[in-house]
Amino acid sequence: MIDIQELAKAFALGKNNKLSDTEKQDVRYSKEAFHSVRKVSFNCGSGEVLGLLGPNGAGKTTTLRMLSTALKPDSGTVLLNGVDVLKQPVKARQQIGFLSADTGLYGKLTAYENVAYFGRLHGMDEKALKQRIDELFTLLNMHDFANRRADNMSTGMKQKTAIARAVVHSPKVVILDEPTTGLDIMTVQTVLDFIKSLKAAGTPVIFSTHHLDEVATLCDRVVVIDKGVSAFSGDITQFKALSAEGDLREAFLSVLQGSAGTQQQGVA
Amino acid sequence: MWQVYFKELTELMRDRKTLIFVILLPIFIFPVIFGVMGLVLSSTTSKAMQEEHRYVIVNAEQAPEFRDAMFYHKNFKQVQTEKTAEADLVAAIRNDEFDVAIIIPADFSVKRQAVEQVQWQIIYNQSSQFDFMYRYFTDMLATYNEQLQRETLNQLNVDPQKLAAIIKPVDAKKVDTADKRENIGEKFGAVIAYILVPLCLLGASYPAIDMGAGEKERGTLETLLICPISRISIVLGKFLTVLTTGLVGAMITVGSFGIWGAIIGSFAGMAVVQEAMSAIAITELILIFSLLLPISAVFAALLLAISIYARTFKEAQNYISPLSVLIFVPLVAAMMPGVELNAKTALVPVMNVALAIKELIKGTADYMMLALIFGSTLLLAAAAIGFCVHWFQQEKVLFR
Repeated sequence: MIDIQELAKAFALGKNNKLSDTEKQDVRYSKEAFHSVRKVSFNCGSGEVLGLLGPNGAGKTTTLRMLSTALKPDSGTVLLNGVDVLKQPVKARQQIGFLSADTGLYGKLTAYENVAYFGRLHGMDEKALKQRIDELFTLLNMHDFANRRADNMSTGMKQKTAIARAVVHSPKVVILDEPTTGLDIMTVQTVLDFIKSLKAAGTPVIFSTHHLDEVATLCDRVVVIDKGVSAFSGDITQFKALSAEGDLREAFLSVLQGSAGTQQQGVA
Repeated sequence: MWQVYFKELTELMRDRKTLIFVILLPIFIFPVIFGVMGLVLSSTTSKAMQEEHRYVIVNAEQAPEFRDAMFYHKNFKQVQTEKTAEADLVAAIRNDEFDVAIIIPADFSVKRQAVEQVQWQIIYNQSSQFDFMYRYFTDMLATYNEQLQRETLNQLNVDPQKLAAIIKPVDAKKVDTADKRENIGEKFGAVIAYILVPLCLLGASYPAIDMGAGEKERGTLETLLICPISRISIVLGKFLTVLTTGLVGAMITVGSFGIWGAIIGSFAGMAVVQEAMSAIAITELILIFSLLLPISAVFAALLLAISIYARTFKEAQNYISPLSVLIFVPLVAAMMPGVELNAKTALVPVMNVALAIKELIKGTADYMMLALIFGSTLLLAAAAIGFCVHWFQQEKVLFR
């Protein structure tokens, strides 16, 4: 169970930072700061998959980084299974698994060592760790390259290792930041299968994406972020209902137009 | 913290670049550089000593004994010239017709008879770095002077037994209070610090870049940050790894320096090196090492802070190169003549360590000073680590 209320985050701008014309038109820029995320609220129940949609630079990554405790929000609350992420970041981190398309691995370490390192950092004892890695490597069919260094792996192998790394500590929530961007078809399939298996196990998943077909096949809930504001939050049927034919692309565009309209009203 | 430390160490050990910078460079390249430098220096010196100087003597017939002494000296070669005027001789030397001209006044023997002092002239280019020619000349002239003195005194019927005492009434014998080690330490101590301190920096800089900027570039930093361990543990783990490599680098350098010193010293003519090395006891080596410890910690913290700030490997390298140049300023200052270890210089970072290493090698170290240096550098290190920890918690540093 994840509950996010009115999250906001601003980044200070350098004094000599001249704004370009397009940046000046963005409502999120003020003189001193860039208000990357202004008001984002959504929730996700257990076993649900939530798709985070939005144009580039809308604030998706910043939102997910706050969710994963890498960044500290200026205001708002994040509750993960009743644990306040802001007040108990270390406890919250034990419940989070995080993965993105450009998540790197340590090139000099083998697949096993990469996964084991993060398991140890999560405080797992050696016996449980070994068992869990064995389990994961069987699940993801990774035993063949368990002792190969990450530098010598194919993209697919790397992504499998990254997945195993993200869930080695059996997280209660999994956060994926554009997990399929820039990956080949086979690797994308690995990631999607992994999301399905999490869903089957009842683990809530939040992932940001630009691919509406992934949303259609996987998501129970959809959140659209535009210019740092959650413009839409609801389940997939509500989202589809936004367009006459139930087309996701049209629904997405209508949300963006709607939010642009309200913002202009707000400015006026 | 130890998890991070051991993982970083494993990774570093598998990296060929670390091996080159931390182990191979100190073991092989430095002895080679110093060997070549020593060889070039000693061969140019001996060449200068063996060089033949072409000379002319004006009015040589006035001092036949001197003329003969010069003629038979192996470093001088007579050439013929018609010139006698000073200006002509100067011009001839500039034209490289000969190297040196000696003008004996035409009335030299007359004045000798009257026991009057006479002035000779020696004309040569004095800009040469090794002025062995003048040394040979003054030696010969001194012998000649003494010869003349004896002649004059003989003519005056002085007791030949007392001649020595009359010519040189007082003879001084040099007794050096500085033992050999102090002499050698004064010359080589600063050089050793000059090698050791930058190597601590060099050994630490590659791993530091890899662990900060490298981690950002690979995209592993974010995953590391959301692990349930405090950022302080991450920094300290990384910091200890950088410190370890810096110190291992320094230790290997000291070791290779000692071994190569012994090997080079065993060759003939390099006994000085051997003596210098044998004079340094284990206690001194431990003390040198214990002074390098806090200064390496300062370097490690600074390097790590720079590296965490940088977005990429390249950016980090750009920031670090001026730092490694700056390091040489206090080191060169410590090598300046007249700069000594006192309460003031003991508080100048880097320079104090260099001076203390020199004192330790000379065997004249003041242990109170060493404690002061150790303490002040330790404080500096603590401040640097504190800054590094603080730095690592800034979002604007981590997510630039």
